[in-house]
Amino acid sequence: VKPRRKQWWAWLRARLRPPRTLKVTRIGRTYLVVTFGVGLGALNTGNNLLYLLLGLLLSMVVVSGVLSERCIRDVSVRRVGTDAAFASEPFAFRWAISKKRGHGFALTLGEADSPLTGEGGVGYLPAGVDHVVRADLTAPARGPVLLTGVRVTTTWPLGLFAKTRVFPMEGTLLVYPRRGYACQDPGEAERGPVGDAGNPRRNDGTGDVSGLRELMQGEDARRIHWRKSAALGKLLRVEREREERRTWVLAVDAGLEGDALERRCEEVAALAHRLIEEGHEVGLSTADGRVRPAAGSAQERRVLRALAWLGHEGPREEEEAA
Amino acid sequence: MRQGSRLRLVLRDLGSGFAFASMAVSGQLPVWTLALYGVSLVCALAGWRLFARRAKLTALLLLIAAVVLGMNVLAGGLNLVVAACAFAGLISAHRLLSSPEGATDGQVHLSGLLMVAGGAALSGELVYGLFLVVFSLLSSLSLALGVVEAAVPEGEPVPTREVMRPLAKGLGFAVAGAVAFFILFPRLNWNMMGPRSSPGLGAATAGFSNTVRLGGAGTIKGNPRIVLRSTLSPDPRKENLDAYWLGRTYDVFDGQEWTNAGKPRSPMLMVTLRPGGENLIHQRVELLPAYGARTAVALETPARLGNALAHTQTGSRRIGLQRLGGGELRFADAATSYSYEAYSLPPGGGGDTLDSLPPEEQDALLALPENLDARIAQTAARVLNGEREPLAAAQKLAAWLQREHQYTLELSGDVADPLADFLFVRKAGHCEHFATALTLMLRTQGLRARLATGFFGGERVADGYIVRAGDAHAWTHVLVPGRGFVTVDATPPSHRSSQSSVVLQRMIAFYEVVEARWRSAVVDYSFRDQLDFARTLVRPPRSRSGEATPSRLPPLRAWAAAVVAGLVAYGAWRGLARFLARERPHEATRFVDAVEAQLASARLEREEGETLEDLDARLAREGHPLSAALSPITRRYLEARFGGRPLLQGEATTLLATLKRAIAEDARRSAAEARPPRARRAS
Repeated sequence: VKPRRKQWWAWLRARLRPPRTLKVTRIGRTYLVVTFGVGLGALNTGNNLLYLLLGLLLSMVVVSGVLSERCIRDVSVRRVGTDAAFASEPFAFRWAISKKRGHGFALTLGEADSPLTGEGGVGYLPAGVDHVVRADLTAPARGPVLLTGVRVTTTWPLGLFAKTRVFPMEGTLLVYPRRGYACQDPGEAERGPVGDAGNPRRNDGTGDVSGLRELMQGEDARRIHWRKSAALGKLLRVEREREERRTWVLAVDAGLEGDALERRCEEVAALAHRLIEEGHEVGLSTADGRVRPAAGSAQERRVLRALAWLGHEGPREEEEAA
Repeated sequence: MRQGSRLRLVLRDLGSGFAFASMAVSGQLPVWTLALYGVSLVCALAGWRLFARRAKLTALLLLIAAVVLGMNVLAGGLNLVVAACAFAGLISAHRLLSSPEGATDGQVHLSGLLMVAGGAALSGELVYGLFLVVFSLLSSLSLALGVVEAAVPEGEPVPTREVMRPLAKGLGFAVAGAVAFFILFPRLNWNMMGPRSSPGLGAATAGFSNTVRLGGAGTIKGNPRIVLRSTLSPDPRKENLDAYWLGRTYDVFDGQEWTNAGKPRSPMLMVTLRPGGENLIHQRVELLPAYGARTAVALETPARLGNALAHTQTGSRRIGLQRLGGGELRFADAATSYSYEAYSLPPGGGGDTLDSLPPEEQDALLALPENLDARIAQTAARVLNGEREPLAAAQKLAAWLQREHQYTLELSGDVADPLADFLFVRKAGHCEHFATALTLMLRTQGLRARLATGFFGGERVADGYIVRAGDAHAWTHVLVPGRGFVTVDATPPSHRSSQSSVVLQRMIAFYEVVEARWRSAVVDYSFRDQLDFARTLVRPPRSRSGEATPSRLPPLRAWAAAVVAGLVAYGAWRGLARFLARERPHEATRFVDAVEAQLASARLEREEGETLEDLDARLAREGHPLSAALSPITRRYLEARFGGRPLLQGEATTLLATLKRAIAEDARRSAAEARPPRARRAS
């Protein structure tokens, strides 16, 4: 049960929210001031030319309202979404917009009442065409972003007023932790190098030979390709397709909050990215649960999603409307 | 630069140019501002943004221009409104030469708006309306292209063609709306102060001065500009009036030039020159800025002039007329243009007698220059051959002059005796030579005559007549006993009126027709016109067959207007009805909101996803004291919301009051339980 004041405020906001919102632009404000001045001048002096000018200025305001209304009427929008959204960096977000009748001009799309910044635009939208609008949005922080609707704005035809229509469309955009560099070492691998057989004693990778390179300091002498080394006069080691896959389980401690939690999430995300890129298996252990170690980009996505939800409540299925 | 930007900038710059032109047609802006703006516009159209890199530094130029204009205003050399308009033009010029950014575009358009507003204050010219529409068109196109450009992603083309069609439609509606607003918006100010006149472009050329000197260039005859407009009552309804419009007369000739012998009198608002009759011709005359003189003009023979208004840039005011020698009436103060009323006698003589003239003018009517060539008198006597009747003699001499002499505007310049040169050497001259020759030849024969100057002509335009600068003319007044001064014109008839190009004259006449419409329909539109417009809508139609009893029913247009008004009212009513009948929150939902608000005041927290019936069930399980009050409310809510039994009038209030009382009772009980009893504490 909400307090009465909040109820009243919600009721008032619902009452006052019109189907279209109109905002006067900067040039529009000056235009209105000039119109007001011309009107005063006409009334004061009785100069018919000023009446004529006043009529033209007011008519332009009315025509501007009618044309902009025709522009955003019969419009339908749906979210196409994004591949991946990382905090504090622009990501490509798409909407599909179409118009049943008439033409649309100068339409700007954005997410209404959300912390996402950025807009996409379409200059001309003919009738019956499904146009995909791309925008570079930016999310300020990690976590699920509740999307309530898509905002379509037009300043057509004269740029005096910005008329906005919000298409209610609920959804959630999951924003992954900010991408950065991992400053800390991932620590000891949970499991040493394993091949296809999973034998912990094997240390020479699995799969086909992918190449030879000079043996470095401290490397296992059993990896030396003796025949080639003898031919070239220096020690060469074998490289295989699956080199020394190890398994790490990265952890986010349960007691972390606020900035510390954010930093740890970013650190873990970066580490997971690096390790998975290197072909290792990565798992995640958090207070909310555990992600089993695995390799590949799908695993990286699973880790990122788990990190994104960390510290947030809510349904974790179908989270990505986008 | 993105594709389409160039077009947008050109439209923007041209729009600004037309806005400036709407002020410039008034002819009041200082020439240097015209030159500066012109240069700026040309540079901008050529794409040379000279101030793009140093916008702030070059803004100092505007400061200098403001100081110069301000000093001109303080010195009285420039009107404040004109100075403000000129400064708006210079601001626009500066912005044209600046870097084309979004803010700059807006400033150019808004300064254009200020300029057309200034143009409305400065000028009432027809071309102002044209420039206003063109400015609106170009600026709107430019603004629309800018709006679309801003929304088009980088690298994609701007849909210029697609923009044009809907925008053109919109502009058409805007102009129609402006006209409708103009016609229908009630004029709240009865004291109309429209821009009556502005000097316009080009020098004024009336040709009136205190003297008439023979040997002038005669170029005025080729000037087609309109200097006078007049409506006549009764209206002669002739296409060409071919009438003499008298300005003044001259009676003293010294061999080179004509002067007057009369003395000036004090100005009066109404001047009577001679007694009138029943058949006076009423004229409502307007002397335009191209006239450029202060002498009032009226149809020959003027009887009374008055009700004069002087029109200046600051407004119109009543003005007196000062009577000078030669029957000249001069406006007391200088102004851009004048309007007045005049009454004239019908043609055929003014009924003046010699005695009615001042003594000095009586003597001058027979005066001859001292060194007059003797051949003139001899020639006059030979031509007249004994004719002594003044009018017949004058007509005989006029016929001889027209037969023996040629009309020409090409003169030999100043000569010692221009009259003898005209009569005996060149045998060619213009109207002043013909009129002077006739006047002096009559005087040599003892017949009283004088030179008259003014205009000859009058072309019908709309409901009135116009007179051009080229219609300036001179003729002779012969004093005929019993009839007074009678006009005799020695100039060949084909050369009395304007000698300018026919094509040019037609073009100007066409412009005048359109401008007459503009003046009557726009500049002088008033509350009375609005009432007339309303009356024409409801006035019964006139019977075409000329029946005595016309139909009492309103005309078709009135029915059409009523239908349109009815449809508009119906549409408004439907819109209002839809608004009132729109889907609102369910009554029961609002009721439960109020219940929740009251429960919130009792600190009863509802769990996530818990409905009102769940809450009620939970409170009942817990034995909460409010459960008894909440249960009937919950049941009633469910019935109202889902059971098809809506809440009755006032029922919600009653239920809420019950709950409120229960909550208050519970609060009191809780407070009592929390407070230790006094008796126990005392013990």
